[in-house]
Amino acid sequence: MSRLSVIGQRLLHLIPVLIGISVISFLLVKLSPGDPIRMLLGDRATEEAVSMVRERYGLDRPLLEQYLVYIGNLLQGDLGRSIRYRLPVGELILDFLPRTLFLVLYVMCLSVPATVLLAIAAARNQGGWIDQSIRVLSVCGMTIPVFWLAVMLSRFFGVELGWFPVSGYGETFIEHLHHLFLPAVSTAVWLVPLLVRNLRAAILEQMEADYVTASRSKGLPEGYIFRRHIFLNSVLPTLHLLGVMVAFLIGSSVVVEIVYAVPGLGALMISSVIGRDYYVVQGLTLVYALGTVLVTLTVDVISTLVDPRVKL
Amino acid sequence: MTEQPPPAPLLSVEDLTVDFGAPHVAVKAVRGVSFAVNVGEIVGIVGESGSGKSVTCRAVLGLLPWMARVGGRVSFDGRDLLQLSEAEMRRVRGRHISMIFQNPSSHLDPLMTIGRHVAEPLRMHFGYGAARARDAAIQMLRDVRIRDPELRVDSHPHELSGGMKQRAMIASAIACEPRLLLADEPTTALDVTVQARILELLKDLNRQRGLSIVLISHDLGVIAEICDRVVVMRNGVVVEQGPTREIINVPSHAYTRLLIDSQPSRLSQQHGKTARPAAVATTSEPLLAVDDLSVEFASARGLLGLLRGSEKASVKAVDAVSFDVRRGESFGIVGESGSGKSTIARAITRLIDPSGGRITFRGASVHDLKGETLSAYRRAVQMVFQSPYDALNPRMTVEETIAEPMIRHRLADRSGARKRTAALMAMVELPAELAGRRPRQLSGGQCQRVSIARALALSPEVLIADEITSALDVTIQAQILSLLRRLRETQGLTTLYISHDLAVVRMFCDRVAVFRSGQLVEIGAVEEVLARPRHDYTRRLIASAPRLEAATASEEGARDMDTGSAWKGSHG
Repeated sequence: MSRLSVIGQRLLHLIPVLIGISVISFLLVKLSPGDPIRMLLGDRATEEAVSMVRERYGLDRPLLEQYLVYIGNLLQGDLGRSIRYRLPVGELILDFLPRTLFLVLYVMCLSVPATVLLAIAAARNQGGWIDQSIRVLSVCGMTIPVFWLAVMLSRFFGVELGWFPVSGYGETFIEHLHHLFLPAVSTAVWLVPLLVRNLRAAILEQMEADYVTASRSKGLPEGYIFRRHIFLNSVLPTLHLLGVMVAFLIGSSVVVEIVYAVPGLGALMISSVIGRDYYVVQGLTLVYALGTVLVTLTVDVISTLVDPRVKL
Repeated sequence: MTEQPPPAPLLSVEDLTVDFGAPHVAVKAVRGVSFAVNVGEIVGIVGESGSGKSVTCRAVLGLLPWMARVGGRVSFDGRDLLQLSEAEMRRVRGRHISMIFQNPSSHLDPLMTIGRHVAEPLRMHFGYGAARARDAAIQMLRDVRIRDPELRVDSHPHELSGGMKQRAMIASAIACEPRLLLADEPTTALDVTVQARILELLKDLNRQRGLSIVLISHDLGVIAEICDRVVVMRNGVVVEQGPTREIINVPSHAYTRLLIDSQPSRLSQQHGKTARPAAVATTSEPLLAVDDLSVEFASARGLLGLLRGSEKASVKAVDAVSFDVRRGESFGIVGESGSGKSTIARAITRLIDPSGGRITFRGASVHDLKGETLSAYRRAVQMVFQSPYDALNPRMTVEETIAEPMIRHRLADRSGARKRTAALMAMVELPAELAGRRPRQLSGGQCQRVSIARALALSPEVLIADEITSALDVTIQAQILSLLRRLRETQGLTTLYISHDLAVVRMFCDRVAVFRSGQLVEIGAVEEVLARPRHDYTRRLIASAPRLEAATASEEGARDMDTGSAWKGSHG
């Protein structure tokens, strides 16, 4: 089967996943406590007024019908209106989304090269002092709570030294880079050790592989064997972990966004949950789920490009 | 070669020693090994596991792990390889001396096409560009007789069969036209018919290109097929070496004799028909009947297939097979990998469900058994598996392992089980002091004895032995086989013996069924089938089995004529 048709098949698999996501995000609001009409009209509204509005919003119809209407709206890009911001939810999310995406990409750009360098250094000096110091630093990085580190970094580099702004997002690309540096570093500090441990273990395992001995028996240089055989065979597990972590980052940027006052999705999510802005929460759930699906799909496609044995 | 005094050998290993570990606790893997390989010669190194034959070979190429310390001299073409720097050694590897390995699947990089595998050494040693190396790789693949090399050059290892992978590995090893090829058990992981073809290929490369070969094998039959001279190793030392014919016909060392006598083909000669348990088999009623049995394994068809409503793709592992096993007989099932022989055993023991047909035990359908009758059936039919270590729980002692089924089936209380365990251990010739050991403290042969004792603990009527000796050394195999033979006589066991090795089956079985791709090819009395095979495939299987007698056949003339005939390379 050609790669294209394999990818096509993988896309088909997404359909049930997407239906599942829409059902859950739909039910999320239905099952949450409190009556949205009551919220809209206030406690003093009369029963007639409530049932009139309910009829106008179509909330008296059967659940399945409401769901189909919801799907219809979704397909037209209509996610409802935010009660707090008085804006269409779609517009609102598109407004906040780029900042979080920028942050996540920034974290990736810092983490991936660092991971590769550290993992290779550790694996090639297995048991040596380089390996040991990387291990100790990794444990530190993973155990320090993000919120504490974020606060400390912003106090020291932001307030004491004044090298980096402590809040906001900036206007231009360079300003974005400047503003988001500390948030990105705070995130990378726990992400990199996770990836390094994973990649180091994979490299060590592949270094013992039979094909490495076979390559040596053909007189291939060690550096070449490492680059072309060992490393390539080691990256797949880490790539999958990275995929999971990126999906996780999109949803968990909350802490650094709050600490550094970056107006991203995390900040929007928190304020919407607290303000019971259900349609925003619903829209965000949808966006997070879609993001996860897209990232997983991308990782899977890359995997097939690296490893011909991978079946989607 | 002419009649002149022999020129200096191509490779000469003198007093080679290899130690592993720190000096004071060093494990001596190889001690004082000396042998030589002349130009155009095939030298075999034979020995059992732990004999140091692979270590010797790797020491020649400097491929041992860093903690190994190597002493002695390895002269190749006038240079001492042990004195070369790593960089100089790298220019020797692949260029002048190459190596092929036992398991082609793990020795090829799964992410790299076989064309690139072959092209790699050409690009490194000769500095070929990508296009030229690719063309050369296609030619090499053609030379090792891979069909459609233009297509195969872009295949990945997982798309090829085991034999093809071994051919690709050979192509990669000889791409730079080395003068010496070290072949470390190159056919051990392969089916016997494939093995025969790979050996033929090696022989042809030797004749056409004058390629000298060191062939390492645990199988004296393989060595006898193609080697001019043999080096016999045991426990890290050479016990005997000389021309193949002499070593096999008039072995001077006791171990060599043991090795030769342990060959299954020799065993059957020794024991002959008389030693077989009374031939009641042909007369008694069928104990176990397999009727029109089919087993299918469904393969995933994906969502697209689901939407299209396409037929569920499935692989027929066993296809409408019928045979019956009579009380007291030893029934052999022979076939190569993928022939469905293990699947049949699993269906009989109800480890998998058949998709069609039925299996009856004493006239009752096995599939309808439930509850207590099923337990009774499971007690009556016991199985021993191929891998001695994998089939035992590593955390349980020998005694616990053997006693467990008796306690689970409530056949004995703890003290009764303990007594019976001691009796069973004696029955399978396990020393009583091993009772407290765990599997990793035992040898492969001892583990297999534990498995057999565990199966016998339930006093079964039928014992299914699935390739139980194929992971063992040949001398151990001989011991296990004679143990099984004795158990048959004393316990009146009905045995179902599954094997890929015709010689073993000939020695051990009364009747045999030959399987191929899930189908029953031929069935009959062992002597009848082996002496007068009716089916083509059976004939091919018999012809492919390596034989000691090959060494004594006259082939000297042919070799002398061809050796050194100039082979014109397409490159280099």
